[in-house]
Amino acid sequence: MRATKQWSWLTIAQRYQGLVGLLLLLAVALVLAPHNSAPGNLFGSVFFSSANLRNVLGQLAVPGALAIGATFVILTGGIDLSAGSALGLLNCIAASWLLHGASASATAAYVLTIGTAIGALLGLLVNVTKLQPFVVTLAGMVSLRGAAFVYTNNANISGLGHNFDFLEAPTLGIPAAGWILLLLVLACSILLRATVFGRRVYAVGGNPLAAEYSGVPVNRVRLGAYALNGLCIAIAAILFTARNSNGEPSAGLGYELDAITAAVVGGASLMGGYGSAGGTFIGALFIVCLNVLLILQGVSYYVGQGWKGVIILVAVYLQNLGRRN
Amino acid sequence: MSWKAWFGVIALGAALAGCGSGSSTAESSGSKPLVAFAQANSADPWRQVFDAETKAEADKHASDFTFEEQAAEDDPAKQNNVIDTFLLKQPKVLLVSPVTEAVQAQVEKAYDAGVPVILLDRAIPGDKYTAYVGGDNVEIGREAAKYIVDQLHGKGTVLMIQGLGGATATTDRKNGAMEVFKATPGIHVIEGDDCKYQRNAAKTYMENFLQSGKPFDAVYAHNDEMAIGAYLAWAASPKASGKRPLIVGIDGCQREMVDMIKAGKIDATFKYPIPGPKGIELAADILKGNKPTDKKVILPTERVTKDTADQYLAANPNLAK
Repeated sequence: MRATKQWSWLTIAQRYQGLVGLLLLLAVALVLAPHNSAPGNLFGSVFFSSANLRNVLGQLAVPGALAIGATFVILTGGIDLSAGSALGLLNCIAASWLLHGASASATAAYVLTIGTAIGALLGLLVNVTKLQPFVVTLAGMVSLRGAAFVYTNNANISGLGHNFDFLEAPTLGIPAAGWILLLLVLACSILLRATVFGRRVYAVGGNPLAAEYSGVPVNRVRLGAYALNGLCIAIAAILFTARNSNGEPSAGLGYELDAITAAVVGGASLMGGYGSAGGTFIGALFIVCLNVLLILQGVSYYVGQGWKGVIILVAVYLQNLGRRN
Repeated sequence: MSWKAWFGVIALGAALAGCGSGSSTAESSGSKPLVAFAQANSADPWRQVFDAETKAEADKHASDFTFEEQAAEDDPAKQNNVIDTFLLKQPKVLLVSPVTEAVQAQVEKAYDAGVPVILLDRAIPGDKYTAYVGGDNVEIGREAAKYIVDQLHGKGTVLMIQGLGGATATTDRKNGAMEVFKATPGIHVIEGDDCKYQRNAAKTYMENFLQSGKPFDAVYAHNDEMAIGAYLAWAASPKASGKRPLIVGIDGCQREMVDMIKAGKIDATFKYPIPGPKGIELAADILKGNKPTDKKVILPTERVTKDTADQYLAANPNLAK
């Protein structure tokens, strides 16, 4: 009886580990975070304030969209190491279009198309070469970063004007970029849970051979997952361009690892077949909240990094513990 | 089990967070105002000295204000996050050493919200900031070139080892020096490779250059690390038995460089001034109600040679390494 109860606790904690971690973090924040009397503070806490809600969602938009994209690839049992480089290239393309006077919608459409095409190309390469996604996307990481530097002739692009400013403007207390992320999470959640394609993504990641024998078009599903990842990266790149209002070929360095971290903390398994858009969102939110709390507490960035490593390890350990049974 | 594990992690993190901030958490909500500093990175030697001197100056004012710093790994997006989060704490003065101009929007947001902003080292376009404190790389380039021309008595070949292409510091240090070199008819300049401010890259380049056998009389490196790399390559070459070329660097932030100057291995360096302490001084003035009189404060350089090395070490106790 007692044992059963313990396991059920574990099951809950393992299934909702991102959420459990986030709630604990919020509890800690309530006690620790500095207090002041700015308007909109709940319990007088700087952390639980409307200003911080804006701050967190503003910071979350880019890593959140990247993490949602990474989730599709991770669910198929793959990994995308090229996301940061792709973000850098797309950031430069968006910036260059805006600099030359293109409208927001034309720029966005072009960037979304290129991003999706890059994703699809990577998926195609994985299918055709039968190489590990790690290797294919590692090559993509190197090439796309190079392409970004060539595209901008090794310079930053600034003076973009204000066409993308509306993405940063608050609507109902949250930056438009935050709303876009929330819509993206909702759409991807529905896609993964309630469509044939979604089920097949899980099937491909769970056991590609079994999926193949049961008639799942494995290659097409994988291609779709990588293309969707590319689309999410493009969305992230547009939001990134809006927030920084410039283009830098070095932008997004190492962001692919943040995206993978968010997915893993949110309960995704790098072996494929486990994970969800909602879980990844919670994972990304957890990391941003942790970052904000560390800055509010005046803890050095490097100490924070050390703790993030510990948290990833604990998250993966918990998954393993639950799934071994 | 898992609850405990999570709780352990969070509790440890929280304990650490508590330690890290020490007294500041308690006091930031109290009477002492906050001076927040968004640093670009804390990794390269110059930035390490920058951090140490800024902290030392802030400690002198510990009774007037709380000082907090966050580095951003040279990622403008991270620095934007830091600035946004700092603003929640309602700092009385915000110091920013911008990664790039991509942080302009966040800096302007702070300035528009009524927070005085002091920019350190790198500027941003526009004029929505309270003050800027930094060095003048063009002037440093001129000073270094004048010294080289003097030492060569106006005649000889200068090998210029270049820093990262496209960086403002590189362009400025090059242009300032070229102005002086071009005005001296006896001086011939060889524009060396982009060695990215790295010792190793400069060493490899110098090894290859020595192999070529082209004669030269002086090395002008855009920073000290590359000057040291050039010296190491020369010292390991067969040419080391002959007369050593004049070697000049820029930055003056490493003890190693000053020690090498003292030992007669390298001839001179020109200090790239650290803007942190002046920034803290301005912040303290602003808290007392005195607005900075100058919008731009340009700090002077300082020449370090064998004669002045000891004096320089004594005056700059926070040098790297």
